[in-house]
Amino acid sequence: MLLEARDLEVRYGSVRAVRGLSLQLAPGEIVAVLGANGAGKSSLLRALLGLTRAHAGKVAFDGNDVTRWSTSARVRAGLVLVPEGRRIVMGLTVQENLLMGAGQRRDSSAVQTEIEQVYQRFPNLAARRHASASVLSGGEQQMLAIGRALLAAPKLMMLDEPSLGLSPRLANEVLAHVRDLNRERGLTILLVEQNTQRALEIAHRAYLLELGQVLRQGPAAEFAADHSLLDAYLGRGQAAQRPTPAQLTT
Amino acid sequence: MLGQQFINGVMLGSVYAMVAVALTLSIGVLNFLNFSIPGLFMIAGMATWALIHAGVAWPLAILGALAITAAVSLVVERFTWRWLRGAEPFVPLVSSMAFLLLFEHLAIAWWGSEMRVLPSLFAGTDWRVAGFVIGVPQLVGLAVSIASIFGLSLLLKRTSMGRSLRTIAEDSDTALLLGVDVNRLVPVVFALAGLFAALAGVLFALNYRQVQPFMGEAVGLKGISAMIVGGMGSTWGAIAGGLVIGITEVLSVGYVGANFVDIAVFGLLLLILFVRPTGLFAGLPAGRGGI
Repeated sequence: MLLEARDLEVRYGSVRAVRGLSLQLAPGEIVAVLGANGAGKSSLLRALLGLTRAHAGKVAFDGNDVTRWSTSARVRAGLVLVPEGRRIVMGLTVQENLLMGAGQRRDSSAVQTEIEQVYQRFPNLAARRHASASVLSGGEQQMLAIGRALLAAPKLMMLDEPSLGLSPRLANEVLAHVRDLNRERGLTILLVEQNTQRALEIAHRAYLLELGQVLRQGPAAEFAADHSLLDAYLGRGQAAQRPTPAQLTT
Repeated sequence: MLGQQFINGVMLGSVYAMVAVALTLSIGVLNFLNFSIPGLFMIAGMATWALIHAGVAWPLAILGALAITAAVSLVVERFTWRWLRGAEPFVPLVSSMAFLLLFEHLAIAWWGSEMRVLPSLFAGTDWRVAGFVIGVPQLVGLAVSIASIFGLSLLLKRTSMGRSLRTIAEDSDTALLLGVDVNRLVPVVFALAGLFAALAGVLFALNYRQVQPFMGEAVGLKGISAMIVGGMGSTWGAIAGGLVIGITEVLSVGYVGANFVDIAVFGLLLLILFVRPTGLFAGLPAGRGGI
C-alpha cells in the first residue's frame, strides 16, 4: 500500500469530524472519496497531510509511519495536496507559483525540465509564465495548482474538489488531466470531488463517507451503477438531475 | 544651504527608512507590529558605543553590535511569537512593547541613563564637493542602507526563501500546505528585522555620535509613521516614508525652528494620509514593492 490510514480520528473541539476512518491506496490507483458536505472529506485530507493533528489513529505513507511527521516532511516524501479553492499565491508570478511547488527540492536542473513539461501540458500557463498569477482564469488557476503539485515530485496527489466553480467543460478538462496523469505516469490519485458521476468515471475505487465514517467502499463501477445509494447519501440532485455526462475530452 | 540640508535630511531619512523596513518585514510577513524594534535600534547604538568605549576597533564594534542585536531579536522571537502562538493577535504586540521597556531599563541599569558620546572616528575626512559637506560616515551609511535594502529586495524576489516569505505574507496556511517549514522561517524574519534595526542604530550612533537608552522611542515613532505613510507592508513605501520624514525634519529645523519640528513632520504626515489614506505605495503586488 502506498497510503494507509487506520482508525483515523479528527476532532474540532467536541465535534468529531472523522471517526475511526480507515482507508488504503495502492500505487497507481485513482480512488474517489465521496460524501455530502460535512461528511469529513476535507478533514480527512488535512489529517493525511498533517495540517490537522489526528487525535487517534495512524497514517503510513510509502513504507513510513508518518503519523507524527510535519506537513513539510510529508510533502518532501511525496504526499502532495491540490487544495480546495486552488490557493494560488496571487502575489507571485505563474512561474514562481510552480517553483513554490518545488520549494522542498534540491535538484534544480530536474525542476527546470519539469517546469517545461508542465508548460507543455498546460499551454495557457506557458503564455503567462511571467505574469502575476492573479490574471489567470479559474480553470487556469486549477491547472496551475495541479502543475504546482506536480513540481513537488508527488507519489500521491490528493485533489480536493478540483472542479468546484468551473464550467462543465473546464471541469471535464481538469478531470481528464487527472486521469491522464494517472495513465501516463502511474501517478496515484486520491480525489475528493462533489461531481460524483465524473469522479466515478475516472476512479478505480471509491469510498463513500458519512459523518466521518466509511459507509461503503468498493470498485467505482459498482458505485456508479447504484443510483439509489448515491441519491440517498449525496442528495437527489447529484445523480438524478445531471444531464448525461459529456464524454471526457481526451 | 538648502542643498546641504537636503543631504542631511536624506541621511536622517535613511535611518528612519531602515527602521521602517524592519517594522515592515515583521508586519508584512507575520502581520505583527513588533514594538521591540525601536529597542533593538537602541541596543545596536548603545552596543556600538560600549564596544568602542571598551577599546574594540570600530569595524569589530560595528559587527559586534549587529550580531548582538540580531541575537537579541531571536530571543524576542522565542517569547513574543513562539510561546504566544495561537494567542489573540494583540498579545504578541503587547509583549513586544514590554520588551522595548525592558531593553530601555536594562540599558539604564547597565550603562546609566546619561547621554553617551562616541569619539569622532572620521574627523577631518569630510568631503567638500561643490560647497557641500558630506561626512564619510554619512556617505558610507547611505551606501550601506541602499545596498542592504537592495539586498533584501533581491532576497525576496529571487531566492526560494524569498518566495516562501512572500507566500507566508499572503497566506501562511497556503505556505504550510505547500510544505514550507513556516516555523523555521519565522526566526529568519526576526533576524532580518533585527539586522535592519541594528544597521539603523549603528549608523545613527556613528553619524550623530550620541546615544542614550531612550533613543529608540522617537526614531521608532517616526519609523512606524514612515511605514504607515509609505503604505503598510511595502518596502519601497517604507523607504519613501522614511526619506519624506527625514527631509521634512531637517528642513523644518533650518527654516521653521527646532520647536516646530514635530509639528511640521506630523502635520505633513496627517496631510499625506488625508489625501491618500492607504499611504503612498499601498496595494503594490508583493515583489514589486509589496513586503
